[in-house]
Amino acid sequence: MITVNNLSKSYNGVQVLNLENLEIPKGQSFGLVGNNGAGKTTFFSLLLDLIQPTSGHIENNGVMVHESEDWKPFTSAFIDETFLIGYLTAEEYFYFIGELRGQNKSDVDALLAQFADFFHDEILGKKKYLRDLSKGNQKKAGIVAALIGNPEVIILDEPFANLDPTTQIRLKQIIKDLAEQQGVTVLVSSHDLMHVTDVCERIVVLEKGDIVKDIQTSEATLKELEAHFTN
Amino acid sequence: MIKRFISLEWKQFIRASYFQKGLVIKILLFLAVLYFGGMALLLGTSLFFILKKTLPEIDPIISVNNFLIYWVLFDMVIRFFMQQLPVMNVKPLMTIPVKRSSAIHFLLGKTALSFFNFIPLFIFLPFSIVLMAQGYSVVNVLCWFIGVMAISFSVNFLNFLVNKNNAVFYTILSILAILIGLEVYGVFKASEPIGVAFNAMYNQPYLALIPMVLSLALYKINYNFIRKGFYLDDAITKKVKEVNATDLSWMDRFGSIAPFLKNDVKLIWRNVRPRQVMFMSFLFLFYGLIFYTQEIYMEMPAFLAFASMFVTGGFLLTFGQTVPSWDSEYYKLLMSQNIPYRKYLESKWYLMVVAVGISFILSTPYLYFGWKIFGMIAAGALFNIGLNSFITLFGGALNRVPIELNVKAKAFSNTNGFNPTQLLIGLPKFVLPMLLFYIPYKLINFEAGLIVLALSGVVGLVFRGFFLKKIETIYQKGKYKTIAAYAEKK
Repeated sequence: MITVNNLSKSYNGVQVLNLENLEIPKGQSFGLVGNNGAGKTTFFSLLLDLIQPTSGHIENNGVMVHESEDWKPFTSAFIDETFLIGYLTAEEYFYFIGELRGQNKSDVDALLAQFADFFHDEILGKKKYLRDLSKGNQKKAGIVAALIGNPEVIILDEPFANLDPTTQIRLKQIIKDLAEQQGVTVLVSSHDLMHVTDVCERIVVLEKGDIVKDIQTSEATLKELEAHFTN
Repeated sequence: MIKRFISLEWKQFIRASYFQKGLVIKILLFLAVLYFGGMALLLGTSLFFILKKTLPEIDPIISVNNFLIYWVLFDMVIRFFMQQLPVMNVKPLMTIPVKRSSAIHFLLGKTALSFFNFIPLFIFLPFSIVLMAQGYSVVNVLCWFIGVMAISFSVNFLNFLVNKNNAVFYTILSILAILIGLEVYGVFKASEPIGVAFNAMYNQPYLALIPMVLSLALYKINYNFIRKGFYLDDAITKKVKEVNATDLSWMDRFGSIAPFLKNDVKLIWRNVRPRQVMFMSFLFLFYGLIFYTQEIYMEMPAFLAFASMFVTGGFLLTFGQTVPSWDSEYYKLLMSQNIPYRKYLESKWYLMVVAVGISFILSTPYLYFGWKIFGMIAAGALFNIGLNSFITLFGGALNRVPIELNVKAKAFSNTNGFNPTQLLIGLPKFVLPMLLFYIPYKLINFEAGLIVLALSGVVGLVFRGFFLKKIETIYQKGKYKTIAAYAEKK
């Protein structure tokens, strides 16, 4: 689904990302871990064509990301709060995203109904603007908005941060289902090794922009990761 | 402690991003402050002589006193819309041993240094000195001056309350509305007894105590108000008002641009900054009064063309010049969504056109000045719709300064969405209508000038698709730069 070739990004001569070759097949749940400054968000920003690669390219379902915009209809993301429109209520925001992705009100409503659990009664019908919601609730709204319109690729940057334990557990189930049952390619980054190993079939460890580990998740993965990050 | 606060404030000031912007902006701001300060000083020194000349039979101090109430009202309105309330970052102060009272005193004292308090000082201080030099009683003038400054401070602190407390806001608003209503319909002229009161304050110097007490009382009320709210759950976490989600589904008839249009309406309605711009653009409607009432401009129709363009162009100019910046807070979302730039731009364009239309309807009272003037306004409106809208959108495309939507623009310290490029791109907006009118006017006649100005708008409309395409290309070219600029921390 996603092919990365010789991708690099430098700022003022300092290389912050350097991926020679990375192949993410369709329907894989892909985890990205690494310390601060490892290049996780840079990679996601490149995937969304928010920044320009210094060299190389990314292909998303055969579309060159930095050349064409045709990847947009089947790709969605929630990176940070700047993906929210603060002066809308959660419903208005969902409908807006829905309209952009060719979903009418009832389509969106049907989707939202599946996430009643996930919202835990804190998002819908609250008569609050998104900017007035707590960080965790903003995140819930952002994540669900990224699921609107049946995207084939979903990119979530640090989805577990700021969420309460119940929601984290529910989110893990949602991500698993997306990849396993609906064949969606899910890209997740996280600082929480346990969550990533629970959710992702494959985990890539970045260090200062380079891939240092590429693991198919197994029983031993968590131990391996912990060992890696201990030193 | 206070010393420390001051040093914190100073750091906040010089390290603020707007201060670290270009030299040009700093110079411009400095000039602007100099200009307004200088104008105030000039007015202050010459006010006595102007009044003496225009109203020779009335003592200048009495005429000033009679008009003072209008000054106070004006001051209130301007402050309400322009004065940004000082917010000290209290959160980090809560957990360290600082007396609450000293923090609050500092906060309130800071408001006294507002630009809006210096303007009356600059006007009334020279005026008082002139009075004294003219042989008015020193004691009386001094006390009167203190009284007027105390009133200014009262307005300052009142504004604080009004901004923080809706009940106070509506009370004041309704009192003002009633008084103005009574005044206009001649039932009860409140300005007269108030004028008398101000004159009494001049004649009986001890009466200056009343405004002084008033300002102290307001200070105290503010103090208590803040003191009560000096806890995280009130002051820091924003008060969340319940939202009345308005149903805008009727706008769906606008087809593919409907989602953007609905969003833009909410954007303007629900955020402080765009509302402020709306208010400013409303004031543009009155721009014509300055020009149409002066004989000399009647001889200079090019300036009339300029003014006429302004009358209907307020929203277009103020909102339009910062077009992508309005969406700067969530620009990344828009860029990663399935959004055709064209539709996004078109939605903004329609918004501006509708605003010009509404302004045009509101400008019908200008018929009073005759058909020629109104014809100019109509031609100016067409120019605005057909050409100016595209020039403005083009200028916006080059503007990459993020805007904080729900924060009031500070007077003279907020350069959000403003840069030298804006000034340059601003020129054709003003010069073009003047030229379009003036050249045919000189060569043929007045009507020809009108027709050419109006036709330029129609031509612009004909080439709408072309212009939008061009602007779209600029947007696409600048995409990464714009995203990076908007992502910068404010």
